[in-house]
Amino acid sequence: MLPLSLAEPMVPQSIAKITGKDEVRRHLAELGLVLGEEVKVVSTLGGNVILQVKDSRIALDRELANRIMVRG
Amino acid sequence: MEVKIALAGNPNSGKTTMFNDLTGSNQRVGNWPGVTVEKKEGRLKGARDVVIQDLPGIYSLSPYTLEEVVARSYLVNEKPDAIINIVDGTNIERNLYLTTQLIELGIPTVVAVNMIDVVRKNGDKIDLKKLGAALGCEVMETSALKGEGSHEAARRAAELAREGRRVEAPSVFDGSVEHAIAHIEESIEGRVDKRYLRWYAIKVFERDEKVLEELKLEPGLWKHIDEHISDCEREMDDDAESIITNQRYAYIARVVSSAVKKKQSGLKMTASDKIDRIVTDRIAALPIFVVIMAAVYWIAMGPVIGTPITDWTNDVLVGEWCMETVRGWMEGAAVAPWLTGLVVDGIIAGVGAVIGFVPQMLILFVMLSILEDVGYMARIAFIMDRIFRKFGLSGKSFIPMLIGSGCGVPAVMASRTIENERDRRMTIMTTCFIPCSAKLPIIGMIAGAFFDNAWWVATSAYFVGVLSIVISGIILKKLKAFAGDAAPFVMELPPYHAPAAGNVLRATWERGWSFIKRAFTVILLSTVIIWFLQSFGSENGAFGMVEDNNNSLLAAVGGAVAFIFVPLGFGTWQATVGAVGGLVAKENLVAIMGVCYGFAEVAEAGDEMWSILAADYSGIAGYSFMVFNLLCAPCFAAMGAIKREMNSPKWTLAAIGYMCGFAYCMSLVIYQLGGLILGQVVFGFWTAVALAVLAGMLYLLFRRNPYGEYGERLRGKRASANA
Repeated sequence: MLPLSLAEPMVPQSIAKITGKDEVRRHLAELGLVLGEEVKVVSTLGGNVILQVKDSRIALDRELANRIMVRG
Repeated sequence: MEVKIALAGNPNSGKTTMFNDLTGSNQRVGNWPGVTVEKKEGRLKGARDVVIQDLPGIYSLSPYTLEEVVARSYLVNEKPDAIINIVDGTNIERNLYLTTQLIELGIPTVVAVNMIDVVRKNGDKIDLKKLGAALGCEVMETSALKGEGSHEAARRAAELAREGRRVEAPSVFDGSVEHAIAHIEESIEGRVDKRYLRWYAIKVFERDEKVLEELKLEPGLWKHIDEHISDCEREMDDDAESIITNQRYAYIARVVSSAVKKKQSGLKMTASDKIDRIVTDRIAALPIFVVIMAAVYWIAMGPVIGTPITDWTNDVLVGEWCMETVRGWMEGAAVAPWLTGLVVDGIIAGVGAVIGFVPQMLILFVMLSILEDVGYMARIAFIMDRIFRKFGLSGKSFIPMLIGSGCGVPAVMASRTIENERDRRMTIMTTCFIPCSAKLPIIGMIAGAFFDNAWWVATSAYFVGVLSIVISGIILKKLKAFAGDAAPFVMELPPYHAPAAGNVLRATWERGWSFIKRAFTVILLSTVIIWFLQSFGSENGAFGMVEDNNNSLLAAVGGAVAFIFVPLGFGTWQATVGAVGGLVAKENLVAIMGVCYGFAEVAEAGDEMWSILAADYSGIAGYSFMVFNLLCAPCFAAMGAIKREMNSPKWTLAAIGYMCGFAYCMSLVIYQLGGLILGQVVFGFWTAVALAVLAGMLYLLFRRNPYGEYGERLRGKRASANA
């Protein structure tokens, strides 16, 4: 497992674990970030990332990207 | 029978476009009670008995943002007769997450699969019948942007509302979860609206705090229900809320795989991704941003478009056409001279000075609205987040500041999109530090009078604004009221698309209108008051209209409080009155100072009085005057906006007090210490005070954060020492 902030760009990744407060996790879930979901890092900017989740693009800051672990 | 239809959907699903399409100009914009989330209501075009209620864009019915709280309490407590759920057809899986929750409410629902034109263009196929059968509601296709299908959807929703049929929500969850939910339904039956039974049961299963609070279940009953939930949790090895979320998505995935045929599946590079790879590139992002913004300001304020339009409005429209025409009429009709003076020099000149800014501001807002509609604004927030986080603000704070360069009123209102209350308050307190377009004449006056129109004066004004935000961010973040990390940055980036003229114009109008409205209310009233104070006074022992401005009431009032500004280098009654007049409207400041110095009328930047100013004040005093007026309390209209958005007298006072205090300190340091270095000020008591203030600010800036990691360690050490 590795944090999303370190995942290789443009390669589909499967979410293995999301840590952190319930409230934020719930909001991430609303946006489609749930266990087992396939995501792809579209671009990174100083640790902040833009993800493709389902058919949308979600921007996350570095701290959040660090909380989402992918299988790698 | 009047029916109420709620429009619900994800942000960026085209909800606003559809609402505008359905209601046209029959809209009422207000606020949701108690919060500053915008509430829009309108009547359906061609069917006046159908009320369309626009809800804020939401991702689910579990409240995270203020918008979600508002939308949920509307749907649950006010119970619309029908719901139109707008679903972005190009992102159907994520959008259906909200849909499944809406259907559970038991209200007749029409799902409008929007952006169907894009779906078709992509070569994807959505089987509406299958989708409808799986969801248990009507599904229609629409393209709000092209004006396709929206009205049919609204008519169908109204029909369903009138039929008042009960809606059966589909079974979304696994057997054991559905079993537990059925059990809960039985236990709470009779306590909630029959239609909402399933929704409440699912919320109880999720242990939703608000719902449990509302239901007030007896301890015995709750214990019994809780056991059922816990059984499920053990069986699935997950918490109840995650079980619901995951099974919801699993259900949606099944529905989508049977009803939607995608031409290209999986993770492909879209045009938006290609643009994003360039505009959010590690190296190119900032330069591209700077170039785009420079172009925006060049068009709005530059010599080719912005300046000629502003000049024309000021000189020709207001000056020649309005003022001179009205003066001619009134003099021709032999109206009393004081009344002519009040109407022409007081009201028309005062309000006209404000109206002069409208064209420039509208151009700026057109461009910012285009950037927003195209989708670039969200990227700006993303790009700036990395930088803003360093001083305790989030990237979302940057958008209000950008708008603030046009006008502070819509800027303060734009802070609404920031979810975290602390961040929002801090943004409101600092956003007005950015020089708005009404402050430009002040900058022009100082640059002209003291610095030979040097280019660096205006540039430094923006720099002072940005620096003030940075300093304030760092200082405030170390106070208890603002402590804690900026809220995590999560934001959906909408796909880029060509701007829609309707959306851009509407957004521009909404922002510009808040400015125009005040020109005819607050500013109208205050110009009359200032005109009175400045025209009347006691002269030669009698009270009446005065010849010499120095005898006016205004001079008396200004002279009485001018001492406050002596340490800042501009303790004259004229400058004091100017600063107070600036509270009415910043662009008034130059005109009022002109009046104080005995000019009937001055050019926008007060060119006529430059020589007097240069003789009366030192250069550093002029600069200090400029800084004070840029940073201190904004105009009344912006203060009004701050009061509305803060929604608390205490915080409103804190915000305005902070701005004034900060402006005073900055000006004091600039005048006393800058003057000392330049040899324009001799060392005195106030110089010592300025040094102390500077030291205090540096301390606040560089002290360790008592609420950050350092504070945690410190408290930990103390606790262990005590034990």
